[in-house]
Amino acid sequence: MLRESSKAKGENYDLALLTGVKGDGNVPYGALLVAFAEAVLGDDDARLSAIRSEIRAKLGDAALIDAAAIAATFNAIDRVADSTGIPIEDAKAAATADFRAALGINAFAENRGEIADPRDRR
Amino acid sequence: MISYANSAVAVRDDIGQAHTVAWRRIARAGAWLDGATRVAIAAEARHASQCRLCARRKAALSPYGISGQHDSLGGLPERVVEQIHCIIRDPGRLTRQWFDGIIASGTSDCEYVEIVGVIATVVSIDTFCRAIGLPLHPLPEPVVGEPHRRRPRSARQRGEAWLPLIHPKDLEGDLDTEEEKVLAAYWAGIVSNIRRALSLVPEEAFAWFQLVETQYLQGKWMWDFANEYRAISHAQIELIAGRVSVLNQCFY
Repeated sequence: MLRESSKAKGENYDLALLTGVKGDGNVPYGALLVAFAEAVLGDDDARLSAIRSEIRAKLGDAALIDAAAIAATFNAIDRVADSTGIPIEDAKAAATADFRAALGINAFAENRGEIADPRDRR
Repeated sequence: MISYANSAVAVRDDIGQAHTVAWRRIARAGAWLDGATRVAIAAEARHASQCRLCARRKAALSPYGISGQHDSLGGLPERVVEQIHCIIRDPGRLTRQWFDGIIASGTSDCEYVEIVGVIATVVSIDTFCRAIGLPLHPLPEPVVGEPHRRRPRSARQRGEAWLPLIHPKDLEGDLDTEEEKVLAAYWAGIVSNIRRALSLVPEEAFAWFQLVETQYLQGKWMWDFANEYRAISHAQIELIAGRVSVLNQCFY
């Protein structure tokens, strides 16, 4: 979806940001939002509090709520996907093959004994 | 039941309402589990972070080579505790073999799905509270009632996932149950696999995505990149979503 957003907007978002590469990746406040996601899933309460304050100061309270809601959603969606063994859809697999390989994301499936690309099953 | 009135940061009303609906659902009988069991699952999901067996497995190269007993609250069978703790603590390393073991130990596939639905609800709402700096909500009191135990005949195992799923095509024509009819009206056509993941228990699939769409984006908004619907942009939303998923080692 980040790539689709990038294409639609004519921007050049750096998808490597997803894997922890430093910087904004051409996404406004990208580094701050990545740090927020990491802090929400981490256990350093002081760091999370500081990042929360920074988001409120720079992006506003509504942005903090929406960012929190996204982190909350995907922390659970990931568990639904991983515990039911659903594959990614064929169209999505085709559209993401290059950057999944480049960023090493296929390993998440392969480490579980799954075939990353469902088209490879056939 | 859930209030964000005391939050230092104003929480959108629709989020408060969705959380209240989801919290009440936990307390009531579902399709296969009664309210007391569902609340016990929610409590165990919160307790999983303190489990020493899970900590040892998390640190191990091969988690399932380490045996032992989970540190649990004691109110649920060990097979259910195993399911809950593993999904909470190490979701990125769940395997088909592990899933088959849970089913072989006596949990039905429908019960498995309902447990996942409760876990997803608790994880989502608890993560939201942590993210905005609020204490966790007290769990609801169970509501007396019996599960209806209706299995949707439209759910089929096609080898696409570990569990039987409902495909939108399966919902065309006459349907047996109200739950399937609700799902048919809600899906109305082509549906992503994540929406189908819990469809073996249709009301879990429906309720879970009501919460998702409130917290994330409605389906029709996800691909509408010409407009923004939240206080952060599509790109900022997907950046957070993507980073969370990479940290969870989620391939989907």
